Amino acid sequence: MSNSVYSSMPAIEVTRLRKQFNVQRNREGLKGALLDLFKREHTLVTAVKDISFSIPQGEICGYIGENGAGKSTTIKMLTGILVPTSGDIRVNGFVPHRDRERFAREIGVVFGQRSQLWWDIGVIESFRLLRKVYRVDEADFKRRLDELIETLDLGELLNRPVRKLSLGQRMRCELVAALLHQPSILFLDEPTIGLDIIVKTQIREFLRKINREHGTTILLTTHDLQDIDALCSRVIMLDDGHIIYDGGLDELKDRWSKGREIVFQFTDAVSLERVRSLTEGLDVRWTIENEMAAKVWIPREMNVSDVLSKVVSRAEISDIKILETNTDEIVREIYRTGSPEAGEGIRG
Amino acid sequence: MKKLLFTLSLFKEYIANYMKTKLTYRADFWVEVASDLLFSAMNLIFIFVVFRHTPALGDWSEAEVVFVYGYFMIPYGLFSAVSNLWNFGDRYIAKGEMDRILTRPAGSLAQVLLENVDPPSIIGSFVGLGILATAWWRLGLPFDWYDPLVLLVMALGSTLVYMGIYITIAALSFYTDAPTGITPLVYNIQNYGRYPIQIYNRTIRFLLTWLLPFAFVGVYPASFFLDNHRNSVMAWLTPAVGLVVCTIGIAVWSHGIKRYRGAGS
Repeated sequence: MSNSVYSSMPAIEVTRLRKQFNVQRNREGLKGALLDLFKREHTLVTAVKDISFSIPQGEICGYIGENGAGKSTTIKMLTGILVPTSGDIRVNGFVPHRDRERFAREIGVVFGQRSQLWWDIGVIESFRLLRKVYRVDEADFKRRLDELIETLDLGELLNRPVRKLSLGQRMRCELVAALLHQPSILFLDEPTIGLDIIVKTQIREFLRKINREHGTTILLTTHDLQDIDALCSRVIMLDDGHIIYDGGLDELKDRWSKGREIVFQFTDAVSLERVRSLTEGLDVRWTIENEMAAKVWIPREMNVSDVLSKVVSRAEISDIKILETNTDEIVREIYRTGSPEAGEGIRG
Repeated sequence: MKKLLFTLSLFKEYIANYMKTKLTYRADFWVEVASDLLFSAMNLIFIFVVFRHTPALGDWSEAEVVFVYGYFMIPYGLFSAVSNLWNFGDRYIAKGEMDRILTRPAGSLAQVLLENVDPPSIIGSFVGLGILATAWWRLGLPFDWYDPLVLLVMALGSTLVYMGIYITIAALSFYTDAPTGITPLVYNIQNYGRYPIQIYNRTIRFLLTWLLPFAFVGVYPASFFLDNHRNSVMAWLTPAVGLVVCTIGIAVWSHGIKRYRGAGS
């Protein structure tokens, strides 16, 4: 609703954002416990280390990183839950923690592990209560709710208490709860965690739809890289409180994928020596998939057709499958080698 | 002002919500009411037993002590109905439910109070009113036209004293990592406030008047109506102390919430 007014402004703007926690250290043993009673020892932990980024209106951005990298801490600062130690945040022009109550009406939040809904009452009752809390006009509420119920197929769930819903059903209801007031920005923390593939797909499609139709900006954290593949045009990757990559998903794949893989289905049984001999002289790596199939890894700089022509000319092939670059593996690879220093090289 | 009206309109919604929840657990509801009443009955019986053995405590007669106790039940019932903060530190801070509160466009303290409304506690207030009326009649106290109004002002002031103290204590959870034993400690001190504080020594009197002003939830405001013990100054301080303590509570809360750090991820 406010999109047109702010169209020139980024949805999220973060500058040198830092969050430190004072973590209490418990000393060991009874003696330690007694000492703690009088004087506690604290260590200062920096969860988010001076990060900066900016997300334009209408973008779907994936915010990824391992556990403890600082994803949730960032999201909590962006949504006004936590007060930053230093740095500047603007979300829709608001400083989230300072203008918290006014700001909260412009964003939607779904935390996968935490419910927005009231446990013991019917889902629809929760929605009605949220309508009051967010001061949504009755007519707008009806229209919005009908639309959401239809797309997420929630019709028969509405009168059930939340505690009787399955995780997938609850998650769809959480999405409705977060979108009833038509926020222009949606924050999702692990929205698909623990869901089965059908619900995951449904939720991804739904998110794409609201992004397309309402221009909703979406920032999501996830461990499921298929979420990223399906939704995000941009990823920000975090490691130990630093941003180690910020850029397009395709670019990430290009820079980090080390090669491609082809699976050959042979007409006869094959052995490792046999397939190796097919590509003699080429620097490729073979693995046997099963009795009749083998997989070959080809480095990026080598031409796929060179390998293909050699194999096809020397053996009977019944099927060929070229495997796409797998985001999962790329990300795992970056995590493994990922350090701020290595990050400099790939920062977009 | 607009914000206050908004919060009050939410109050109605949350009560309706409470009712819907409780209707699904009806047995729970009645057990809660019964246990509240039993607890008050036990305290009353305790007073009667004490006066079996002695005709007066200090210069307080049985009916006067019962009068103070009846008065105390009125603000206590109101307080329990609207600020049920007993498990705040555990539920909202340690388990991180404050996250959800903070993403919603309403005052954080108001939301926490609203989520925990407990209307049945009001029954205690009515029982207290009944006890007060009976004691009033037994003591043959005069009844002036303004007495109900004064009672209302005093009861609201006392309720604010309670709320202020318990909001402050709940807000302390923002400052410490581990849940502390301070709530039970204060709860025990609170119990002294329901009896005439003149029967205690000076330290406890000072504590209950100026540090944890629980005397303003019992004997001081009640003394306004008791001809033999009237202390108008202290009685009329009740609403003022209520406002001050409540302001302190809200200030500690607003400052503490900035230190909230969430739980896990």
